[in-house]
Amino acid sequence: MNRTETGKNAIRISILFISCSVVLACSTKTESMNHSSSTKFEQYFVQGEQLYLKNCSNCHQTNGTGLGLLYPPLNQSDYLQNNFEEVICILKNGKKGEILVNGKSFNMEMPGFPSLTDLEIAEIATFVYNSWSNERGIIEVSDVSKILSICDSLTVVH
Amino acid sequence: MSINLLERRRKVIVRRWSIVHGQWSRGRLTACGLQLIALLFLVSCVARKESPLPIYGEREVVGNDTVYHTIADFSFLDQDSAIVTHETYKDRIYVADFFFTSCRTICPIMKTQMLRVYDSIQNDPDVLLLSHTIDPEYDTVGLLRDFANRLGVKSSKWHFVTGEKESIYKIAQTSYFSTALEDKTEPDGFIHSGAFLLIDKERRIRGKYDGTKEDDVNRLLADIQRLKNENEPN
Repeated sequence: MNRTETGKNAIRISILFISCSVVLACSTKTESMNHSSSTKFEQYFVQGEQLYLKNCSNCHQTNGTGLGLLYPPLNQSDYLQNNFEEVICILKNGKKGEILVNGKSFNMEMPGFPSLTDLEIAEIATFVYNSWSNERGIIEVSDVSKILSICDSLTVVH
Repeated sequence: MSINLLERRRKVIVRRWSIVHGQWSRGRLTACGLQLIALLFLVSCVARKESPLPIYGEREVVGNDTVYHTIADFSFLDQDSAIVTHETYKDRIYVADFFFTSCRTICPIMKTQMLRVYDSIQNDPDVLLLSHTIDPEYDTVGLLRDFANRLGVKSSKWHFVTGEKESIYKIAQTSYFSTALEDKTEPDGFIHSGAFLLIDKERRIRGKYDGTKEDDVNRLLADIQRLKNENEPN
């Protein structure tokens, strides 16, 4: 190869290298932005799953189907979809009295979990609302805190 | 003449069989047939030789007999307000457990698992279920009926019984060897075991299973069948 060609090759390689770096640098930046928001969702989801298995699955089952007319389902539940704020309050304070889920009446008292932090509630909610056939995206701690401050004034949609 | 006819027919059949099966001569066919019969014998013998389930509890040798630990006589009230006694379970295999309706810890899992047992024995007239409440003050007949209805089960197959607290605790501990104690310091107020007990037609305990573990309940389902096979007349 003569010097001109070597030179040309060198230029080509340099351009290639520079453009690759630019592309890589830029894509890494956008990737890390998406990555961090999806990582937060994943973290909430995984933590929420652990909390769910520990506190909720014995009644509501690991697949969210509930048990007969004793414990309502969390998968394909109209109550869950239509009463988001109420559900957040139930996680903390429990629930007494009759509720209608998919047209069926449930009346077993659910104990509350007052020791759960707002973050833990957000995590469990993120897990439940994004499992099985449910899809909602991440539930933020700030939203949970806001809702928990107005639990007494909520009305339920059947 | 007729013998010839038969002989000819036999030869035709063998020939046709040989044609269809190529190299299969009569000798080979007979050998195969014998082997098949031998195999069937072996299989049935092995199946029959399945070891019997253990018998739990103390035993006493009296003369030529061994007297085993049995479930004591009992009399409770079920979800239909019907009196349920040891006579209800006479000559039946049954599975017993102890729970209470307001229990939030292990009972829901036990009921999920017991429902699996119920589903598998629903059409089996030989097997019944017996759940005792260890909180008879709260678990009234009405509450038990509501509970059983919400589970969607028939009372004739699965009796939920209540009664004198002391009688229930006594039978739990001394007959079924199952822990059941009132304890205000416990989260639900009671210490109780999640055990399922398998009882045979002679009121003897033949198996003990953790009702909160799916694979232990799988073992129970298999053992129910083993127990039924044991009872088959030889």
